[in-house]
Parts: sequence; C-alpha cells; structure tokens
Amino acid sequence: MKDYTKGKSPDMLEPFFPNELLRHIIVSCFLVILEMSAVILFPLPWKAINKPDHIPWFLLPVYKLHKLMHNEVLFISALVLSTLIFVSWPFLVRDTKGNASSLHNAGGQNGSFARQGKERCNLWHRPVLFAIVISTIILLITLCFIKT
Amino acid sequence: MVRELIETNITRRLIPKGLSWFGCMGGLSLVAFMIQLGTGVFLMFYFIPSATEADASIQKVSHSIPYGWLIHRVHAVGPHVMIGMVLSHMFRILFKGIYRHPRELHWVSGACLLILTLVMYYTGYLLSAGNRSNYSVIPITFIYALHIAGIPLAMGLFMGMHFFMVRKTGIYEPL
Repeated sequence: MKDYTKGKSPDMLEPFFPNELLRHIIVSCFLVILEMSAVILFPLPWKAINKPDHIPWFLLPVYKLHKLMHNEVLFISALVLSTLIFVSWPFLVRDTKGNASSLHNAGGQNGSFARQGKERCNLWHRPVLFAIVISTIILLITLCFIKT
Repeated sequence: MVRELIETNITRRLIPKGLSWFGCMGGLSLVAFMIQLGTGVFLMFYFIPSATEADASIQKVSHSIPYGWLIHRVHAVGPHVMIGMVLSHMFRILFKGIYRHPRELHWVSGACLLILTLVMYYTGYLLSAGNRSNYSVIPITFIYALHIAGIPLAMGLFMGMHFFMVRKTGIYEPL
C-alpha cells in the first residue's frame, strides 16, 4: 500500500476515517437520490411496449455511425480500431524526448518547463493532444444529432 | 490481527489534504455497480430466460411481486447513472493527465471496464422487453448467461486489478 505520509508534514495530511469515508457516503447518498428520482420520473409503462428504436444516449454515436456506414466490415473494423486506440491511449501519447523538447520550445523556458511537465500534466498543457481529444468529443456529439 | 488490519487501513490511515470532490466519481461508479448487482440478483429469482416466457416473467415481476416494480425500475435506470459516473471519472482522468507514467495500466483496466459496462448494457437491453426479434439471431439463454455470469466475472477481475493497482501506486495528489 502506498504511504502518503512520506515527505509531508502532519498539517498536509488528514485522516482517512472519518473525513474521506464521510465524503464518499455523502456523495453516495446523492447517487441514491438521483436513482430514486430517475425511477419516479421515468415510470414503468403498464404494457410492455415494443420500441426497437429506443437508443440510450451513450450508444447513440455508435448507432448513428452504423446507420451512416453501409459496409458492415468497415463499421466493425472502425469500432475495433477506435476501441484499441482508446484502451492503449496512455502508451500512444507517452512523453518521449521529442515531445518534451517541443513542449519546452513552446514554453520558451529553459528545461524547467519540461521537468515541470512531469508533475503538472494537465491535458491542456499539450495543445495537439488537447485539440485531438476536443475534436473527437465534438465529432461524437455531432454524430448524435445527425439525421439519417 | 483483524484489529490491526482495520487500524492500518481505516482508522489510523492518513491521506493528503485537499482532495477534490470529483475524485469520488470512481467510488460512485462502484456504488452504482453494487446497486446493479443487488437489484440484478433479485430480478434473477423471477426472470425466466426463454423466448416464450420471458415477457410474462418480466410482467409478473413488475406488477404482482411486492416492490418488484421498484427493483425493476432501479435496475433499468441504474445503467444510465452508472455510465454517467464512469464517463465523468474517465474525463477527469483524461483531462488531468492522470493516466501518465506510473498509472498507464490503471487506464487500460479502466477502459476495459468501461467497454465491458457498455457490453453489459447491450446484453441487458437485448434481454429487456420489446426486443423479441433478436432472439431468432442469438439464443436468449446465451445472452442471459453472458449478462449474469460471463461479463460480471470479467468485470470483477478487471475491478480487482484496478483497485489493487490504485492501492499500490496511490491516488493522484494535488501539488
């Protein structure tokens, strides 16, 4: 188990019990409230209705893509490829030497930026990756609204 | 022995101060999964996985079993909440760049969990009412076995990996 106390003064730490546990319990209560209100807002229909076209919001992009692509083989290979890219994302965008130097050039500082990048690693510190992610998200959202 | 375990893991454990509330999203996904598991076990008592009786058994659960409607509805709306939580967890990790060097395998196991969750939803969707036409293509018992045993086992495996690795490398700490 990782020891968080290493290299930290006592005022930078807080007890796991009850602070963190209480935080999780409060948030879990909100989750249960959310589910119960969803149960009230979307009640059970009296008769089992036949609605084959009901697609949940998170599968809409896949469904629309299937509608757009008439080639089944192409569709499945696109799905598999995007899944592989998604799963191996950290290995694809790993910090290489070239990346670090380009970052440091963009920052215009001497070396300190590259070293700092190791600790502060927010995605928007890497503009190309950030643009890729944002455009993918926008593309997926647009796919949901396309009429086929 | 047990006392010592509790003391080191819960009561005497210290964590860094100032953790974000968004860090709870992963825990919330687990809570949502547990709700799905609990309601799913109750639904398993009554659901009959056959093409002719499935509809009738779902109707029986929701209209004549006490509180069956509640269990059924919670099991039906739960996935939407769970996938929302999983996605927000994923976006936090992605935008804060927490998937970097010591934590690449966390991302891989988490991504597999997200995909398994979607597959889980899809099999459940095929089992639910109003999708009878699919049974001619894939037998209902096959989907049912995947939904109640196959995918949950795989998810449990990946979850074990995920939690073990998080415990080992520690959570992401703010500067």
